[in-house]
Amino acid sequence: MEKKKSNKAGRYVSGFLMNFVLIVFSLSCIFPIIWMFYSSFKEKRAFNADIIGLPTEPTLKNYQRILTNPDYHLPESMWNSARTTIISILLIVVFSFIVGYILARVRFKFNRALYAMFLMGMLIPIHSLLVPIYVVFNKCGLSNRWFTLLLPYISFALPMGIFLVEGYVKGIPISLEEAAAIDGSSFSYTLWHIIFPICKPILVTVAIIQVFSCWNEFSFALVLIKDVALQTVPLALTQFKGQFASDYPKQMTAMLITMAPIIVLYFAFSKQIIKGMVSGAVKG
Amino acid sequence: MLNAIKPSKKTIFFYLLIPVALFVFTVFVPLVTALVYSFFEWKGGPQKTFTGLANYITLFKDGTFWQSFGHNIYLVIACLIGQVGIAFVLVMMVNSKLVKFKTMHRTFGFFPSTIAAVCIGLIWNMIYHNKYGLINWFLTAIGRKDLCQVWLSNSDLVMLLVSIPLIWQFIGYYMVIILSAVSSIDTEIFESASIDGANGVQTALHITLPLIKNTMLVCMTLCIAGNMKAFDNIYVMTKGGPGTSSMVMAMYGYNVSFGQSNMGYGSCISVAIFVLSLLVIGGSQALVKYITREKEA
Repeated sequence: MEKKKSNKAGRYVSGFLMNFVLIVFSLSCIFPIIWMFYSSFKEKRAFNADIIGLPTEPTLKNYQRILTNPDYHLPESMWNSARTTIISILLIVVFSFIVGYILARVRFKFNRALYAMFLMGMLIPIHSLLVPIYVVFNKCGLSNRWFTLLLPYISFALPMGIFLVEGYVKGIPISLEEAAAIDGSSFSYTLWHIIFPICKPILVTVAIIQVFSCWNEFSFALVLIKDVALQTVPLALTQFKGQFASDYPKQMTAMLITMAPIIVLYFAFSKQIIKGMVSGAVKG
Repeated sequence: MLNAIKPSKKTIFFYLLIPVALFVFTVFVPLVTALVYSFFEWKGGPQKTFTGLANYITLFKDGTFWQSFGHNIYLVIACLIGQVGIAFVLVMMVNSKLVKFKTMHRTFGFFPSTIAAVCIGLIWNMIYHNKYGLINWFLTAIGRKDLCQVWLSNSDLVMLLVSIPLIWQFIGYYMVIILSAVSSIDTEIFESASIDGANGVQTALHITLPLIKNTMLVCMTLCIAGNMKAFDNIYVMTKGGPGTSSMVMAMYGYNVSFGQSNMGYGSCISVAIFVLSLLVIGGSQALVKYITREKEA
C-alpha cells in the first residue's frame, strides 16, 4: 500500500517534470522568432534600453526603411531567391521523375552504371566542391548569372529525388504499363499521363524537402554570386549583419521578412512538411 | 522488366541527356578539376606551376588544417550526443502517457530545422552579444554581472558556443524522425514490459532502443555528414575566429581559396575535405555495424 502511494506521487512528479522539460524545449524553439517579432516594432534606441521588453511605442519604421531603401536590396534578393527556388524545384521534380522512372523500369546498357553514378553522388561530400565548383564555373563564364545557382541546386538534389522516385515506381504494379502499351500508349504518353499522376505523393515529398534547402542555401551562393543585384536572401542577410552590426531591430526585421514565406508555409502545412522531410531523410 | 516498356534508344537518350549532363558537369567535373589543380601552385591568376605533391606535403604539416579537422570531429561528437542523444530522451518523454500537447511539441520542435543556418547564426549572435545579448541580460538580471563577457571572443569556449545553436536547431528534427520510428512499434510490447515491472528508463534502453536501431543509425549518419560540412553557422558567427579557434575545414578551404586567393592549395584542401569526410562517414558506419553485430552474436 505504502509503495503504491509513493509510486503514484512519483508518477505525478515525473509527469510534471517531463511536461515541464518539453514545454521549455518547445518554447525555446519558437522564442527567438517571437522575440524578433515584437522587437522589430521597436526603434534602435528603445531596443538598446530594454532588449527583452515589449515595445512601448510600436512603430513600423524598420519595415518601411528596409523595404523602401534600394541600398538594402532586400526585395530584390527575395525575388532572386524565389525565382531560383521555384525553377529549381520544378526541374528537380521533373528530372528526378524521368531519371528515377527510367532507372526503375527501362532496361538498357548503362542502366546500372547510371544508377551507381547517382548513388555515388549521394555519398560525395558536397561541401568539398565549394572551391572547385567556383573554379569550373568561373572558367566557363557561368558564375554570377541569374541561372548560376540553378545548376548546383538541381544537381545536388537529384540523387535523393531519383532514389525516392525509383523506390516508389518499383512499388507500382507493372501490369499498369502493360495495359497501357496494349492500348497503344506510347512511352512518353504512359510516362506523363499514367505514371506521373501516380507518383505525385513522392514528388511532393521531393519538392517539400528541396524548397527549404534551396531557399536557405548559403555556401554555394556565397562563392558563385558576386553581384549584389543577383544575391539570394541568405547572402543579403550577411550583408545586413555588416551594415547594421549594432542596429538589432533592423537586422531582426530583415530576417523576419525573409523568413516570412518559410514560416507561413511551415505553419500552414506543418503536418505534411514534417512527414515529407522525415520520409525523405529515412529513405534517402 | 518487359517488352511493354521498350522505348527507342533515341527516346531514352533524349530524356536522360540533360539531367545526366548537368549532374556530371556540376559534381564530377569540379572533383576532377580539384584533383588536377591540387598538384599546381596557382594564385588564381593565369600562371600555374606544376609542383607535384608539394601542396599535399604542406597540408600534412599545416597545423591549422588539422586543427579545423579536429573541430569538425568535435562538432560531430557534440552533435551526436546533443542532437541524437537529447532527441532520444525527449522522444521517450513525448511518448509517455503523462505528457500533453504532443503535436505542439512536434510542430514547434521541428520548426528551427526549417530556418536557414544563416538566420540561426545571426539569431545566436544576438543572444551571445556582449551588450544587447540575452545571455548577458539574463546574467545581469540574476545579479551575476561578473560572469558577463564577450562570449564569442573567448577562444576556450567558442567551440562549445558555436555547437549550441547547431544542436538546438536540429534536436527537433531528430526527435521527429525517432518519434516516427517509435510510433511504429507495437504498443503491446510496451504494455507487457510495464506489466513485467520495467520502468521508463529500462524500457527505453532495453526495448525501444534495440527496436529502432536502424533509425538511430540513419540519424547518426545524417548527423555526422551534416557536421562534417559545417560552414554557414561558423561563417556568420565567428568566421573561424578568434584566431583559428573555431575554424572548420570548409571555412579554412574558403579562407585559403578566396581570402588568400591561393586556389592551388585551396583545391588540395578540397580534395582533403572530400577524402576525410568520406573516411569519417564510412569509418563511423563500419564501426557502428561492427559493434552492433558483436552484440547480436
